[in-house]
Amino acid sequence: MMTKEMQFKEVVAQYCDVKPEDMKDEMRFREDLGFSSLDFMSFLGELEDTFDVELEEEDVLKVLTIAEALKMLDNLEQEV
Amino acid sequence: MGTLIRDILEDSAVKYAEIKAVKWLKKKEILERSYKQLMENVVTIRKGLLAEGFQGKHVALIGNSSVEWIESYLGVITGNTVAVPLDAGLPGEDLIDLINRSDSEGLFLSPKGAALLEPVLAACPKLRKIWLLQEEEAEGSNDKVVSLADLKKAGKDGADAGAPSLEDVATIIFTSGTTGKSKGVMLTQDNLATNVMNVKYMAEPGTAMLSVLPIHHAFCLVMDWLKGFSLGATICINDSLLHMVKNMGVFKPEVILMVPMMVETIYKRLSAADPAIPKQALAANVFGGNLRIIFTGGAHLDPYYIEKFAEYGVNIYEGYGMSECSPVISSNMPEDNKPGSIGRPLDNAEIAFENGEILVKGSSVMKGYYQMPAETAETLKDGWLHTGDKGYLDEDGFLYINGRVKNLIILSNGENISPEEIENKLALGALVGEVIVTGENNGLTARIYPDMDVVQAKGIGEEEVKAGLQAFLDEYNKNQPTYRQITGLIVRKNPFIRSSTKKIKRQEAMIDEPLEA
Repeated sequence: MMTKEMQFKEVVAQYCDVKPEDMKDEMRFREDLGFSSLDFMSFLGELEDTFDVELEEEDVLKVLTIAEALKMLDNLEQEV
Repeated sequence: MGTLIRDILEDSAVKYAEIKAVKWLKKKEILERSYKQLMENVVTIRKGLLAEGFQGKHVALIGNSSVEWIESYLGVITGNTVAVPLDAGLPGEDLIDLINRSDSEGLFLSPKGAALLEPVLAACPKLRKIWLLQEEEAEGSNDKVVSLADLKKAGKDGADAGAPSLEDVATIIFTSGTTGKSKGVMLTQDNLATNVMNVKYMAEPGTAMLSVLPIHHAFCLVMDWLKGFSLGATICINDSLLHMVKNMGVFKPEVILMVPMMVETIYKRLSAADPAIPKQALAANVFGGNLRIIFTGGAHLDPYYIEKFAEYGVNIYEGYGMSECSPVISSNMPEDNKPGSIGRPLDNAEIAFENGEILVKGSSVMKGYYQMPAETAETLKDGWLHTGDKGYLDEDGFLYINGRVKNLIILSNGENISPEEIENKLALGALVGEVIVTGENNGLTARIYPDMDVVQAKGIGEEEVKAGLQAFLDEYNKNQPTYRQITGLIVRKNPFIRSSTKKIKRQEAMIDEPLEA
C-alpha cells in the first residue's frame, strides 16, 4: 500500500511538473512549486477527498510548505 | 412604466413557484429552496425591516454566498431600503470604515464573522441592529445583536413595505479598489433591473448555474443571482474555492460565471491530464458533465483559452463591465459572438469614445459615488461615464479593449504607452508567469514572475531563468519602435499582489521589489 506521504505527493504532482520523488519537505507551494492561489485552493479540495478530512479556509492559508501541509493532515486525522 | 427587481422576482415566484431557486451544501447533503419559499422569506424579511424602522435606511451585509444572505439582500432592495454588500474578506478595520462611510444603520452578518461583533459595535455608533444570518434565535446580552430568525418574527404579521420608485438607490457597491480609496457606487432600482433585462441570455427554467464568485461583487450579484432568478434558473452555491471542481461534480452546472484566473487554473488541470484520456471523458470528470457555457468578466481573457475550452465542449463568452454600470456594458452571447472581443454593447448602453477612452451612457449607468461629489463629477460628465478603459468598436459593432487610460505610461518624449498591450505580448513567453510593465527612469521595465511550472520542468536555476527572460525580451525588442522597447528586467521572487477580484494591484507591483539603483 502506498504511504500517506506518497499519496499526498501524487496529488501535489497533478498541479506541478515536479515528480513525487523529487519533492522535498521545505519546498513551498507557491514559490518553489509554482502554485497559483487558485491552484492551491483546488489542491486542498482534492486533499479533502483523498484523505477524507475537512479543512478550514482560515487554517490552510497559513500553510506554505510540503512539510507544513503534511503536518496539518496528521493533526486533522488525530482529531477524528 | 419601468420594471423593478421586485417585479421581476414576483413574476418568477409565480411562473417558477415549484422550481428550485437555490441549492447549497450542508456537509454532504444538498439543501434547496424553491422560488415560492424564497419569495416568502424575502417578503417576511422586508416586513421585518419595515417593522424595525429601517424604511429609507442603509443596511450592510457581510458574509459569503448563502441563501440567507441573498434572501436578506432581496428583502432590503425590494422594499424602500438600501443594501450595502461588503467584502467579507476585508480586514475588520476596513469593514468598519465602510459601514461608517455608507451610513449603515443595520448589518446582516454571517455567523462566521462573529469575531467582528465586538469591534463593529464599538466603532460604528450609527448601527442600531445586527442580524446574524442564522435560523436560530441569537443568544447573548446585547440587545442590538439578534438573528435573521428574530427579524422574520418581527415581520411575520406586519404590514408590507411599499414598492420603491425606479430612481431610488437600491444598492451601494464599493469598488474593489485597485487604485486609491474605495468608492461607493450608487445603483438605482432602474440601473439594476435594466441591466438584468438587457443581457439577452436565455435559459430554460431550472438550468443549473454554479455561483463561484464573491457575492458582494456586482458581476456575481447581478448576473448570477438577479439575472438567474429572472430566468427561473437554479443557482447552486459553491461554498469555497477549495471545492470548485468537486462542486461542479455535485451540482452538474450548465453555466458558470468566472474571472479569467479561474479559467486559467482549470485549464492547467485539463492540460496536465494524461493525453490518453479522451477529452470528453476528462471534461465530464472536471466540469461535472453538463457544463456548456462560461461567461467571463473582470479582466481580459486570452482568446487562446476560448479555443482550448471549445475542444472540451465548453464555450467561453467574454464580457465587459464595471460596478458603475450595474455592471455589464457589453458581452459575447452564444448566438452572437466574436472571440477576442468583449461583445456587443447592451441595447441600453450608448457607447462613445474620447481620445480612445470608452464612454458609456444609458439606464444602467450609476447615479454617482456615495458622498463623493468630486469623484462623481470626474467620472460622470453630462451623463457619460468615463470608464478609464481604452477601446474601439469594429465594423460589426463588437467592442474591443486595448488598455487602461489610468495606466498609461507617458515618457518624456511625449509617447504614451499602454502597458497592457505590451504585457499581453510578453505574457506569451514560455518562462513568463505574470508580467507588469512599468515606466521607470524614462524607459520601460518588465517585472516578471516566472512560470514556475516551466522552470521546474526545465530544472533551471535563477541565473538561467534571468538569461532566458532577457533573451526573450531582446527578441521582442527587435520588432518594436524604440519607445516601446523594454529596457529593464526584474525577475520577481513572488507573484504579484492581487485584489479580491484577482486583479493584479498595479500600484503594489513595485513595492514588493524596488528597482535596483
